[in-house]
Amino acid sequence: MELSVLLPFIVNVIIGGLVLGFVYAIIALGYTMVYGVLQLINFAHSEVFITGAVVGFEVFRILQNSAMNGYLKLLIALVAAMIVSGLLNVLIERLAYRPLRGAPRLVPLITAIGVSLILQDTLRFLEGLQGRFDLTYTLPTGFADKFCATTSSCAPLGNFLRTIGVDVQLKDVILVIVALVSLGLLNYVVNRTRLGKAIRAVSQDRVTAGLMGIDSNLMISATFLIGGALGGVSGVLFGMKFGTINAYSGFDPGIIAFTAAVLGGIGSIPGAVLGGLLLGVIQNLIGVTNIFGNLLGLANLGTIDASYSKIGPFIVLVLILIFKPTGLLGKSNVEKV
Amino acid sequence: MSHLSTHLTTAPTPAAAPDTTGTPMLALTDIHSYYDHIHALKGITLNAYEGEIVALIGGNGAGKTTTLRTVSGMMKPRTGTLSYLGEDVAGKPAHQTMQMGMSHVPEGRRIFAQLTVRENLEVGAYTITDKKLIEERVQEGFAYFPRLKERENQLGGTMSGGEQQMLAIARALMVNPRLLLLDEPSMGLSPLFVEAIFDIIVKLNKEHNTTVLLVEQNANMALAIAHRAYVLQTGEMKLSGKASDIAKDESVRKAYLGDE
Repeated sequence: MELSVLLPFIVNVIIGGLVLGFVYAIIALGYTMVYGVLQLINFAHSEVFITGAVVGFEVFRILQNSAMNGYLKLLIALVAAMIVSGLLNVLIERLAYRPLRGAPRLVPLITAIGVSLILQDTLRFLEGLQGRFDLTYTLPTGFADKFCATTSSCAPLGNFLRTIGVDVQLKDVILVIVALVSLGLLNYVVNRTRLGKAIRAVSQDRVTAGLMGIDSNLMISATFLIGGALGGVSGVLFGMKFGTINAYSGFDPGIIAFTAAVLGGIGSIPGAVLGGLLLGVIQNLIGVTNIFGNLLGLANLGTIDASYSKIGPFIVLVLILIFKPTGLLGKSNVEKV
Repeated sequence: MSHLSTHLTTAPTPAAAPDTTGTPMLALTDIHSYYDHIHALKGITLNAYEGEIVALIGGNGAGKTTTLRTVSGMMKPRTGTLSYLGEDVAGKPAHQTMQMGMSHVPEGRRIFAQLTVRENLEVGAYTITDKKLIEERVQEGFAYFPRLKERENQLGGTMSGGEQQMLAIARALMVNPRLLLLDEPSMGLSPLFVEAIFDIIVKLNKEHNTTVLLVEQNANMALAIAHRAYVLQTGEMKLSGKASDIAKDESVRKAYLGDE
């Protein structure tokens, strides 16, 4: 492979990785926020997230023949997924985790895995009632086209990107914009509002937050609502990106996003974003090992194709746990006495 | 005797004793509290009248902290009555009692280490929604503790113990409490800081008529600024009365004031 072909190829692999990474980042936020307030790894988050993807599928399916603007359809899908996933997450905490608040840590952890399995089969059952298992997104017209390929007004930008070899679809660009807006909103809520300050206070010291008049249970519910809503957003983005999902599709991205949260430093919001982006890129690079192998004349590497790509995040997880257990941006909680 | 007198010279003078003939602001009657199976409070009866500084002294494990925790609602008494401003507040959670004008500065200060000094104060003002009022209170806090103003944007966890104690008190004052519960405010502080903290307590009491329930290991200091005092021992009330009388009591002097 010539350098003139290889460079754009690598650029696209990285861009694809970043796009995927944004999905992981938004999912990872759900894990990290809940961990922040409860020190609980909410393994049900992968299903909260895939529930969002199913809601998105349903919205696009119901609206597929409507003449409505595609972006409006997307907005409805996002809002519906946020509401359903957000409320589902609140409900899970209320019914499954809160009664176990005083129990040893392992108990809610196993409960979370149980909730995860229950939700998977509930989703499969609900879609099965309508004779569906694999759910294929019916995206609005144009979403799967090349970015700025047809619209005349942005054709110059599209042409420019193609000249430098960047090859993205409109839906990828939409995905990144939605992810950035979500991150911006979250950052505002957490760092600039009274609610955000209260959530941070509860995540640092629940008992003392109570002495400040903060109802910690309410803040824990708020955290599950926000984390769940982000899960809903990421579900729709995931469905848009991969096109076909089913009730069990949450597991893989869920566990990778969890790894991203640990990589960035569990409990840290910027860490979750950084971890998600890194893992997206790493996963995509591993997925093209065969191409690098061919290039370097190493035939053995030729068998390592995209189907191996998921080992990347886990190798990273093991390394991070060995060398920097607090994660890249995580803080070890040293308290001054 | 010399030990006591050196301390007394540095302690600020409290305001004249307030009227203690009416209904007390805070009344605990035969309170029993437990940590699982440990019987921590064995029938505590205690009153605090509006405008009083009441000291709670006693050794380790006497139940001083548990008494404060029970009052603020961090824990629920098993039996007994607890009334505050004429209302039964036994078992009312802390986030509700504090809305009734009660502020609790917990043992060990419990500063939010990852929040800045200003954010700590703002969290203290969580129940206030008027932004202007919050800012006013933050400035009042800075006026009481100029040191905090200098540290405004520093993370709470990076400050010294004395500064953290100032922040903990300033944070509790954000809501302009009627009843302030202070748990060991002098613990681990240098004498200079101890003096500053006790000055503030007296000043608050004089200027705002804030009622203070003060738990202290430093009994000398506590008795010097308090109007009345209670002595606890292994969960029971041993003695109560005017602080100046308690300070003269032979058994108290031997047990808590370092007299031979």
